[in-house]
Amino acid sequence: MRALRALSLANLKSFVRDRAALFWTLAFPIVFVILFGTIFAGGGAQYQLAWVDQDGSATAAALRAAFEANAPVELKDGTFEESKSRMLRGDVDGILVIPKGLSAVIDAAHAGQHPDPIEVTVVTDPSRSNTSLAIQQIATGLVMAANLQLSGASPLLTVRPDALQTQQLNGVSFFVPSILAMALMQLGVFASIPLVQQREKLILKRLNATPLPRWALVGSNVAVRLVIAAVQTALILGIGIALLGVKVVGDPLPIAGFVILGALTFTSIGYVIASFARTEEAANGITSVVQFPLMFLSGIFFPLEVLPDWLRSVATLMPLTYLGDALRQTMVGGAPFMPLPVDAAVLGGWLVVTLGISARFFRWQ
Amino acid sequence: MLGRPGQDAVITVDDVFKAYGDVKAVDGVSFQVSKGEIFGLLGPNGAGKTTTMEMIEGLHAPDSGAIHVLGMDVRHAATAIKNRVGVQLQTAALYPQLTVTELLSLFGTFYARHQPVERLLEDLELGEKRNAQTKNLSGGQRQRLSVALALVNDPEVVFLDEPTTGLDPAARQGLWTVVRRLKGEGRTILMTTHYMEEAEALCDRLAIMDHGRILDSGTAEELIGRRFRERGVHFRRAGAPDQEKLQALPAVSRVVYEEDEVVLFTSDVPATIAALLELTSRAGTEPADLMIRRASLEDVFLELTGRALRD
Repeated sequence: MRALRALSLANLKSFVRDRAALFWTLAFPIVFVILFGTIFAGGGAQYQLAWVDQDGSATAAALRAAFEANAPVELKDGTFEESKSRMLRGDVDGILVIPKGLSAVIDAAHAGQHPDPIEVTVVTDPSRSNTSLAIQQIATGLVMAANLQLSGASPLLTVRPDALQTQQLNGVSFFVPSILAMALMQLGVFASIPLVQQREKLILKRLNATPLPRWALVGSNVAVRLVIAAVQTALILGIGIALLGVKVVGDPLPIAGFVILGALTFTSIGYVIASFARTEEAANGITSVVQFPLMFLSGIFFPLEVLPDWLRSVATLMPLTYLGDALRQTMVGGAPFMPLPVDAAVLGGWLVVTLGISARFFRWQ
Repeated sequence: MLGRPGQDAVITVDDVFKAYGDVKAVDGVSFQVSKGEIFGLLGPNGAGKTTTMEMIEGLHAPDSGAIHVLGMDVRHAATAIKNRVGVQLQTAALYPQLTVTELLSLFGTFYARHQPVERLLEDLELGEKRNAQTKNLSGGQRQRLSVALALVNDPEVVFLDEPTTGLDPAARQGLWTVVRRLKGEGRTILMTTHYMEEAEALCDRLAIMDHGRILDSGTAEELIGRRFRERGVHFRRAGAPDQEKLQALPAVSRVVYEEDEVVLFTSDVPATIAALLELTSRAGTEPADLMIRRASLEDVFLELTGRALRD
């Protein structure tokens, strides 16, 4: 045990003193979180709408002010033609058209007449169904509120917004567990590099000439990976919570459990790489080749539903899919792709199989 | 050539074979090392010295044959043996980012018993570099650290694989002093080298290896004496007596003229020298720079293999 502790500490010191390794394992995921956070924080809750005021009255201006103050939108004024080209360029998510004659109708209503209703047009993009639906709801809400207020009736029913998150997590909440999963995956598969380095430099051989048991050698490497995993998790979650407003809804215990299981599984995959890579260069190459399909063929950056069938069947084999799924469920209450026990079982299965391969093929010298 | 394991044999290697593919790295090697001696495996690179040593250290399993260290079979008691021996590998294998002190303390935790780090730093003259990361050490310092690591557990047997390769003469002398002190402390040392002078200076007994086999073994004296009974009497050529007179001196087999020296090969050094001095004193002179040389291990290796042993 004394040797295990001392060797873990030695490996940790080596890691911390290796600035490049430190940067890639700690700074990189943080940069990733912040980058994705800023991208999705803008797009998740806020919609860009073009506001086409064909009426030009004080009433229309008041409506605009009330709308902007109460709905999660940012309005850009322009003519209908200008707005259409903006939407085609992707600068705005939809167009609201306030028709000419709006103020006349409202004035008439105030005067006690019953004019024909006038239509507020909402242009959305049906190919972006979520956004389209949200904008239509926002516009409908606006119009209903205006109707109520204009008719002078006090509201009898109101809606209290509450959340039972299912599929529609906001972007950041979806991505933070994904980035954590990705960081754990990289941490694990990159475990192959120091291992191969230590073998190439004959450090493993030298250790093998001491009575140090092999389980202590493996144990210390795994212990270091777990410590780094804990630091990464704390950093990524901390930034997610503090800067990006991610709400962690789950128990800490299952989250910690999946972080550990994930780190172990991917470290074991790192050992498999180290079993077949003879040189550090080879280990670097194999690690890159392995991590990209792991990353992009798993459901961590795209919901699995949007992938084509063949890709989805590949993704259902990837361990990262299950780690991402489990972390989303346990951290932010994401909709399950699989029940948690299945996630745990698949990750555990990968762990056992890769451990077996390493035990068979890993060479100390 | 070799007797049965004696009472005081610390290492016994018995008819060991090891092949890598078609290459017979070790091809039937047997020898034994007695307690407290320095035993050297001498031979060129690729002779099988390191493979032999690493099988004794338990790093490779022999294809056949038996190896015992401290009375224990390496196949069955590897951990017990590793606790009592110290190993220095040919290439210093160190954690580059750890300091000298950290590395020595770390290795201390691997063993049932260990020496104080301070003592190791002092013995190997590493005190000044105690807080230096190992990647910043010079070649000589790395080598001393590598030897210090082999001594962490206060071992009874020390394995040194080419301990002075790549060192400058001063650093080499320093390591020789260390090795002699280890012997003085009662430790048994098995070392490999391809340096003649090193083998002659340090080793009590030697085995000369080539192509995975031991060609001959014994003390340097024995190895040379078995082949070269004659010695050379050297003196300056200027003012030397005539060749016929020298050839006629007792026990002289031949007279050879080198650049500025005359060499008399003789089977009886005292008789030859006495007669030589008598000859020169009659002429009122004496032989200048008189020296007696025996054949060297280099000559033995040349005789055994037909090749010179050079690095």
